[in-house]
Amino acid sequence: MQILEGTNLKALARARKMGAEGVINLLEKKGLVGRGGAAFPTAKKWRMAMQTNADARFIICNADEGEPGTFKDKFILQNNAKTMLEGMLICAYTIGAKECFIYLRGEYEYLKDDLQKQIDEVIASAQSDVSIQIVLGAGAYICGEETAIIQSIMGFRGQAMFKPPYPTIEGLWGKPTVVNNVETFTCAAQAILFDNWNPNMRLFCLSGNVTNPGIFEFPLGTELSTLIKLAKPKYKLKAMSFGCFGGIMPINSKMKITTESICKEDCQHGAFSVVLIDEKQNVLDICCSIARFYTYESCGKCTPCREGTIRMLNLLKKVKSREATNEDLKLIAELANHIQRTSLCGLGQSSGNHVLTALKHFPQDFEAYVK
Amino acid sequence: MKIFLDGKEIDVQEKKTLLAICRENGIAIPTLCYHASMSAEARCRVCLVQMDGKFVTACSTYPKEGAKITTNTPEIFKARKLNMELMIPRPSCKKDDDFEVCEIYKSVGLGYSRFEPITNYVPDLGSAVVRDNNKCINCGKCVRVCSEIQGIYAIDFASRGHNEHVTPYSEKPLSSVACIRCGQCILNCPVGAISECSHLEGVEAALSNKKKHVVVQAAPSIRAALGEIFGMPAGTLVTGKMCAALRRCGFDAVFDVNLGADITIMEESAELLHRIKNGGTFPLITTCCPGWILMMEHFYPKLLPNMSTCKSPHEMLGMLAKTYYAEKAKLNPKDIVVVSIMPCTAKKFESVRPEMHSAVDYVLTTRELGRLIKRKNIDFASLPDEGFDAPLGVSTGAGAIFGATGGVMEAALRTAYELATGSPVSKLEFDQIRGMSGVKEGSIVINGKELKFACAHGGQNIHSLLRKKDQYHFIEMMACPGGCIGGGGQPIYKDPDTLRKRTEAIYRADASLPLRKSHENPVVKEIYAKYLGHPLSHKAELLLHTSYTLRERF
Repeated sequence: MQILEGTNLKALARARKMGAEGVINLLEKKGLVGRGGAAFPTAKKWRMAMQTNADARFIICNADEGEPGTFKDKFILQNNAKTMLEGMLICAYTIGAKECFIYLRGEYEYLKDDLQKQIDEVIASAQSDVSIQIVLGAGAYICGEETAIIQSIMGFRGQAMFKPPYPTIEGLWGKPTVVNNVETFTCAAQAILFDNWNPNMRLFCLSGNVTNPGIFEFPLGTELSTLIKLAKPKYKLKAMSFGCFGGIMPINSKMKITTESICKEDCQHGAFSVVLIDEKQNVLDICCSIARFYTYESCGKCTPCREGTIRMLNLLKKVKSREATNEDLKLIAELANHIQRTSLCGLGQSSGNHVLTALKHFPQDFEAYVK
Repeated sequence: MKIFLDGKEIDVQEKKTLLAICRENGIAIPTLCYHASMSAEARCRVCLVQMDGKFVTACSTYPKEGAKITTNTPEIFKARKLNMELMIPRPSCKKDDDFEVCEIYKSVGLGYSRFEPITNYVPDLGSAVVRDNNKCINCGKCVRVCSEIQGIYAIDFASRGHNEHVTPYSEKPLSSVACIRCGQCILNCPVGAISECSHLEGVEAALSNKKKHVVVQAAPSIRAALGEIFGMPAGTLVTGKMCAALRRCGFDAVFDVNLGADITIMEESAELLHRIKNGGTFPLITTCCPGWILMMEHFYPKLLPNMSTCKSPHEMLGMLAKTYYAEKAKLNPKDIVVVSIMPCTAKKFESVRPEMHSAVDYVLTTRELGRLIKRKNIDFASLPDEGFDAPLGVSTGAGAIFGATGGVMEAALRTAYELATGSPVSKLEFDQIRGMSGVKEGSIVINGKELKFACAHGGQNIHSLLRKKDQYHFIEMMACPGGCIGGGGQPIYKDPDTLRKRTEAIYRADASLPLRKSHENPVVKEIYAKYLGHPLSHKAELLLHTSYTLRERF
């Protein structure tokens, strides 16, 4: 797998030789984009932080991998953490940061000691004056959002803040801050060192009622049937869900997996965590449990998300208990749309995807319960 | 920079939010969580507008060149209304409620909500400030005023999602955390989820008890704000109508806290001159404000020797009502009930402090007095102008200005200068310490010695003044922005100019009085001559001075 190739501090040495501008130009040429889900060009992000006037800059590695069905960052932390750390040091060298933070998901506490050992080793052998500090999350999904991470590291409530100012301009303690995902930093080191590095390689986290769940690496454009064959579903598949937030779409095994083909079905691929759903399952049940997740994980700041997610869950439960009418289905769709369009952060803005796509693609699963 | 506001091309010169731009162009965007002097949080999402087809919150969004803004489509209105429905499942607004949310219902319509209420909290019935989280819409203005303006940090959000709620530290009741009871959260609550602990029921019971002699005293700042409750413009002085209304409510004697203020000045300037003469601890800090006293007790225990020992004016007058007045009117002090009308919720707490020996039985806020007058079916606007009752109803302009920030200092300086030098101050108005700037300072030469003084109003300004306190001899502290005229018990206002108008009214009251120095007040002279002896006498110490209780921070 490309993602597991170690760079052994050679990427850092190469970066130091190229200079900051050289590193950013190279990343731009190689086409590295953020792997947290938003696919923002990494070079652009680093350049913004570098060019903002400030007396200090910070780097945050987002290891708060909270999306249901996603486990790739854990895989990297367990198997190739040193390359990721090297990516952070390259970033620190490029933008001129002296302090880096790894915001580690609270549930990954068991990785902390080993990670700390590797940090010490990498810092020592790279002879770097940069510090890398692990900050442990407390279990909130919202803290995977970059502004919420920043709030949390500063000791405030993990809540999303409105942008602008963007973190690259005013982040941690008001200073330019680069927030990148574990996979992005790992790829950054690899992209700099390996001439044959492929920007289209992606990690797919496959899960669901399958006999062989796990992480598989394929280039974008791979046919869905390839993935399905590897995952070995127990029953005939009907649908797939991209984590919680990406939406639910029907299975078309001939489909080539690209951003466009997924967007066509009103879904978002995010970090390519695919939950496979078979015919034994009811999409309404899945919507209920996703709605429960959002109700629990909403930070509570914006009215539509705080008050809307619980009402949406209650309405879905009402459908499940066969007490709902068509009016209720309309209200569910209205609420889902409203929360998506009027909330502040990515959590609220995606918290209706599952219901909206399910109502579009699998209306029969809902109508069977409606009075 | 050019933008398009509802299709109209507009030139925007400086960096401004959409809300500011809309308001300048005559477009009234509804807001709930927005406050001009606090940071924007964009929580309530009632100020939604569309920028280039996307929903954004007007209070936190800065437009880009050429942005197309729409503010009034049915789609936008529907989104705002749905947020109101979600926030307030059981809308209720009475006709005379002045909460911000009621203003929004005038366009949304009270109507109905399609959603069930989901919260079930036990209200926090404190001794001064009462909170009912069931009414709360999580706008966070109380949290921000408590931290950003007051610097107290008594409340914050806890939990997440639909369980998110405002609470004091560790879910304790407000009365057992470091809260100074200033009540600024009440003024900033758009839905009335926070209010004062009501003393109205107690007052009404006392009024209907024939055996009780119920004495009422009104603070200097009430007369400059009470009219607003009855639809009069901010800054209307209603001293005469207020006295008439109090008499019609059934109070047996209507006294003036301004007289108590005059007596406070006699005691406090004597204390200042005593410290100057005998080399006492400086700066001397005023103690008229019970919010500030709580702040000192919780956060600045080292200032204990700096604090004046004077009680606040209404406690002094309350004590004199139950001693001097009781003797004079041949009443049993046990039959006298003293009710203070105060702009303040912290005074409710002050009145039950053991150090005060129950001199004041009940404290009503300006808003509660408004309610009492309405309950008694009194048509306030058509009342004649009446005066205060003898003997505790004669006051000077020095007492009147206690209601505004800098007023206590100014009144004290007028008297201290004249008592120390034997000649009157050249100018009665101390312009350096008037006005709304957060920390004000000045100096005056008394008998060849320069006396430096400063005043601060609002908790954050108090914090910053205390960082440089050592250069001053005399400091006045007021916990609420603007002083008592902006107190947590005053009528809720929307126009930010209100505080300035009320302040002007206070100074008008001062300028219009024949006597403007406390020591010239004939009643003050008589009380000292016949009852107390002289300022700081043993009897005065006993009745008019107090001590303080240090409290924990957590």
